[in-house]
Formats: sequence, structure tokens, C-alpha cells
Amino acid sequence: MAILTTPKSAVQLAGQGRPLREHVFRIALLSSLVIALGFLALLLVYVVQDGWPRLDSALWENQPSIRRPETAGIQSGIFGTLWIIALTALMALPTGILAAVYLEEYADKTKWYNRLIELNISNLAAVPSIVYGILGLGLIARWMQFGFTVMTGAMTISLLVLPIVIISAREAIKAVPPSIREGSLALGATQWQTIWRQVLPAAVPGMATGSILALSRAIGEAAPFLMLGAATLVRFNPEGVWSSFTVLPIQIYSFISQSREEFHVLAAAAIVILLAILLLMNSVAIWLRNRYQKRW
Amino acid sequence: MSEIGISMPNVTVRGPEAPRNLESLDPVFQVEDLSVFYGDYEAVRNVDMTIGNREITAMIGPSGCGKSTVLRCFNRMNDLIPGARAAGKITYHGEDLYGDHVDPIEVRRRIGMVFQKPNPFPKSIYDNIAYGPRVNGMKGKMDDLVEQALTQAALWDEVKDKLKQNALSLSGGQQQRLCIARAIAVKPEVILMDEPCSALDPIATTKIEDLMQELSRDYTIVIVTHNMQQAARVSDRTAFFTAEVDEAGVRHGRLVEFDETSRIFTNPADKRTEDYITGRFG
Repeated sequence: MAILTTPKSAVQLAGQGRPLREHVFRIALLSSLVIALGFLALLLVYVVQDGWPRLDSALWENQPSIRRPETAGIQSGIFGTLWIIALTALMALPTGILAAVYLEEYADKTKWYNRLIELNISNLAAVPSIVYGILGLGLIARWMQFGFTVMTGAMTISLLVLPIVIISAREAIKAVPPSIREGSLALGATQWQTIWRQVLPAAVPGMATGSILALSRAIGEAAPFLMLGAATLVRFNPEGVWSSFTVLPIQIYSFISQSREEFHVLAAAAIVILLAILLLMNSVAIWLRNRYQKRW
Repeated sequence: MSEIGISMPNVTVRGPEAPRNLESLDPVFQVEDLSVFYGDYEAVRNVDMTIGNREITAMIGPSGCGKSTVLRCFNRMNDLIPGARAAGKITYHGEDLYGDHVDPIEVRRRIGMVFQKPNPFPKSIYDNIAYGPRVNGMKGKMDDLVEQALTQAALWDEVKDKLKQNALSLSGGQQQRLCIARAIAVKPEVILMDEPCSALDPIATTKIEDLMQELSRDYTIVIVTHNMQQAARVSDRTAFFTAEVDEAGVRHGRLVEFDETSRIFTNPADKRTEDYITGRFG
């Protein structure tokens, strides 16, 4: 056999050249990336171009109007979105984090009911948002008689993001090495002290990143609000949790369904604002992740 | 440290400058017929041994012989593993460690532990030491306590100027001494060490071994080690464990021999011990 013969020169380091397959694979990977990013860039350019004439201060200083689209703004939508996100964060984050702590640190995974809970949380994360809208309408708006208020919207969105918050918080808690828990318990710390003083602080960056991404998903939601029966024209900012409101995606939806061209420009400008808020939140998430990345 | 050479090659036993009256053993732990189960599996079977006050007891043996399992019974760390339970009896100063009224938290406060891989908390050096006293609600000047613990662990001079630095910036050997200091800070009576040097280089290992000698004046130390020379160098008594296959084909850890270290390494009573320490097995 050729392999066994002694080579004439000492060592043969020259390869046989990269096979074609390697190149094809690389090009396939690269083009997937280009397609994904390319369309995103295209979309951004298109929207900014469309909305450019209305990216002025009137956009966030004025309230929406059906009669004067050329000076109409989206202030009520911006404030409505901020109210919803703040209230959602207030309700969904503590609940989700505590649920994750229970599942990771206390739940006995050999018990069938704990496994059932885990399975259901994964399923809930995949439920379409309009279903949460139906739930919010039936349970919160009608049965609890909260009506179409900031509270109803935030509670519905909280239910929507809760499974995602729980899943990402669990991942963050799981990433804390067991040796940290052992070290703490071996010093005579209680389980609660160990969780509160070691596990949670070490998991905070991961939980924050996941939570922000979950909330930024909620910002873009229109379906549940449509289901709840959102008002399309709200000319005032929310004054409290029992105020009626609108959010940016609903606002955009209502502008686009108008026939006059000026409304479409307005809608594009509103989309730019929505994207800006999203990008800002995602950047904070990335910054947090890099800043507090733990190295064990 | 002067060492007395004995018949076996590469093995020296603890020198005479640490004289101990090993005949009058003052027991801290008494283990009687201890078996440890993980679910239905009996990991260790019928262990009997006594841990003497302010002595260093080494547990040696091949992998899977249950020495770490037994060690983790002394501070009830095995409680944390679902399905783990201990049968038989361990007494601590005559009190049943697994008695109904015993709080494992209190047990762990009195019986500290150092792990195989250094596991400092991702906090400052200072906070690593102060954590134990804080969670235990200890009163007193924290600064003094931190200095005292670090001094006892022979780490103070190396870290006194960087107490606010993250503990993870220390070298592996320093991290392990920090973990020892952390254990000392809660003023335990016993320190359990689970292969404390297996992740360290020889120089760092020597430092830890010297430290153990120092600490054995004030503390009772139980160490699990894979390194026979280490057991011979540092310990007063040695327990040799091995794994045996029973009639059903299941492996169980067994205690083969427990005696003064000098006797285990020079004149073992059991053939299996002799085979192990001379390197014919394991």
C-alpha cells in the first residue's frame, strides 16, 4: 500500500488543495447571512425614505388626527407603548423570575407535576399572541371588568411574555455553576441565602438580557390589542393604569388603513420610531450581556 | 521539614516535629456501620472509623471507592443530592449527626468544607471571606475577621493590597487558599477537604500541604486524596477504601483498613492496602 512506503523526501506537508465542497459550503453560509441582513437593510432604507418627510418634531409633539395628517403626531401611541412596557415589566419580571427560581432551585424534577409545568411553559411560549388577546378580552376586560385600559393591556402582554421571561431566567440560573451553590451551603448558608446572595446576583445579567428581549418582542405586538378592541384614534396620553390608550403598532395599523397618501408617510415615520425604540432596547440587552459576562 | 525515610520508595511520613500522642484518640466523629445509598444503589457499605480531634485523617483509594461520598456525610452535603441517604450512624461529639432534631445548616457551619476545584464566589476577595460570617449573623469587626482568616490561610501578605479585587483574578493555588480562608472565617471545628490539590500545580500543592499542617493545631482535618504521597506526608491516620464487586455484580465502596498513617504505609495489615500503596493496583 502506498501509505506504508517510506516517503523519499522527509515530510510532505503540502495539502491536496481545499476540496470544492468546502468552498460551496462557505458561500452558502455567507449568502444566507447576506440575504437575512440584506432584507433588513432594505426594509430600513425603504421605511426611512418613506417616512423622511414626517420625521419631524411634530411627530412626537402632536396627537393623531384624522383631518390633518400633515401635522398629526403619534404622541399618544409613544406614551401608550411606554406605559404598557413599564407596567408589563413591573408585573411579568418579578413573577417570571420567581417562577424560574422555583423551577430551578426548589422543584423536584422527578415529580410528574413539575415536569408537566415545565412542558406547559415551553408550549405557552409558542402560543400565537392573538390567543392571548382572546384570553385578555374574555378574562380581564370582560369578566374582571377592567375594560380596555392600560391595566388590561399590560396584564395581557404580561401573560404573553411570562413564558419567555421564565425560560430565559431559568437559562440564566442554570448557567450559575453548582460549585457556587455548594460553596455557599458548605459555609452554613440557608438555601434562601444562597439563592438571594449568590445565585440571583450571578444570574442578573442573563436574566436582564432575556427580559429585555422578551419586552421588546411585546412592543411590536398589535394582534392582542386588536383583539382587546383597541381604539384607533386616541387623542390623549394615558393618565394612569385605568386610562384608555393606544400603542404604536395599533396607531401604525390605523394610519395604513386610511386612503390618503399623507397617512402612509405618517405610518412609515411611526415605524421608524418603533424600530428606534426596539433597537435601543436590544442594544441595552447586548451591552448588559457583554458588560457583566461572567467567567468561571 | 525533616522527613524520615521508610522502606517504601518515594514515601515519607509526617515528621517528628509534629509529635502526637496517637494512642489516646479523642474522637470528634465516630462512624458506625455507615452505608450510603443513591436511590437503590448502595455506594458505600459498612464503614467504621473514628476521626480524632485536631488530627489529620486522610482517605485514600481508587476512583469510585466512595471516599468522597463518606466525606460528604460528615457535613451532610449528601443531603443536597436527591435520593441520597445514609444508613448506620455518624456521631459528632457523641451526638447523632443524622438525628431528627439536627439542622444540617448548623452542621455545615461547624464543619467546613473545601472542594476539589477552587470555587471562589464571583465577588471581591474581601466579600468572599465576609460572606460566611455575614450569613451566619456573626458579630464583631469584619475587617479584623477577614484579616485573621486570610492570615491563618497564609494568604494575607499576597492579597492585603487588593482585597477589593475580584477573587477570580487570583491564581488557582491562591483561590484554593482563599476557599480555605473562607471556611476558617466561620470558625468551624472541622475542615473537610475533598481532593483540595488535584487541580493545582506542585508548588501550590506544597503550600496547601504546609497550611494543613499549620491548621491541624487548631482544627480537625479530614482530607480525601488521590495522591498517596500526600496522605503519607500530611496525615496522622489513613483510611484506605476500595471498590468491591458483590455477588450480584454491583460495585460498592468498602473501607479496607484504617490505622495510623505510618503503619498503613510501612506495615499494612491487609494485602489489598499493600498492593495499592506499592502501586501494584489502582
